[in-house]
Amino acid sequence: MNVVITVGTYSVIAPVGYAILATLCFFWRKHPTRRAKRLQSITSRAYRFMHQWLGWTRITVLDHQKALPDLPTGPFVVIANHPTLMDVTAVTGLIGGACSIVKPALYQRTMIKPLMVGLGNVEGPGPDLIRIGRVVDDCVDRLAWGLPVVIFPEGTRSPHGGLERFGRVAFEIACRAKVPLVSLTITCDPLYLSKQVTLFRPPPRTPHMKIEVLAVDQPDSLGSDSRALCKRAEQRYRAWLRKVAGETTRSYDSGPEDSECQTS
Amino acid sequence: MSDQLADRIKEIIVETLALEDVDPTTIETDAPLFGEGLGLDSIDALELALAFHKEFGVRTQENDENNRDYYKSVASLVKFITEKQAENASSAS
Repeated sequence: MNVVITVGTYSVIAPVGYAILATLCFFWRKHPTRRAKRLQSITSRAYRFMHQWLGWTRITVLDHQKALPDLPTGPFVVIANHPTLMDVTAVTGLIGGACSIVKPALYQRTMIKPLMVGLGNVEGPGPDLIRIGRVVDDCVDRLAWGLPVVIFPEGTRSPHGGLERFGRVAFEIACRAKVPLVSLTITCDPLYLSKQVTLFRPPPRTPHMKIEVLAVDQPDSLGSDSRALCKRAEQRYRAWLRKVAGETTRSYDSGPEDSECQTS
Repeated sequence: MSDQLADRIKEIIVETLALEDVDPTTIETDAPLFGEGLGLDSIDALELALAFHKEFGVRTQENDENNRDYYKSVASLVKFITEKQAENASSAS
């Protein structure tokens, strides 16, 4: 019921929010960098409020007050596993705004494109392999503006309890821009808005999202080799998953009431 | 000729992408290069496009919806490079 009320409320509020942002996009059009920073600041606050709302309505709880420690001061590339659809808003809200790569089908929608451009988001490559070069260049450009870039290296939501193979785009961007690479871990327990658990079929227990810093890497620590960085990051995430799975198993063994416990 | 070209493409793939554990002769001509098979990604495709341009004078155009088909396997790359070289030759003459 809470989900239905929240989706209904969102459907009423969202067009107003889009209209306000579109107006701001228009007024700030002469200074794309400043516009992107301001709009990112506004949307990250909106995302934090949205997650606060989701917490009040017991749809999902995210500890949005807890700032992520040890984040670099300048621009950086953020990677994370991707268990739920809420990851983008949660991460962007927590780090105070970030550009992301958006699927061309969404980026090119008439009503949304001005906001995408205004926010400094980057249009994804779509099916053309070679367009990835432009995507990398655009992301390096956004980092030069001083904005972080968030990328899910699996390219899609993580399978339950696992990881897809990592792509190299995020690592190539960090190497070319010479900026730190921040690895975040995301857990959602029990899992919600994954590929299997849809919006209107929430789990019986309120899902809790937790986001933590797994590592901060300087690309030159591996000779700015994106392939080596990618391999190390993927191994690190798999080791973390094994550790989390071990904890879940121990928790499961401790009593049947924990049997719904799922991790990303 | 096409066998020689296929062998050279395999060598370029291994050299350009620094696939230390891969012997070029073990790459199957019809096997997929991306996802399955060698498991290459889009950044690899970009690096290969630059290498092919340098080696064969063949430019891979951005926004060509056939790029994924061109880079599907060594066999498809042989076809792509042969056709592009023929196009370049006819436009030069």
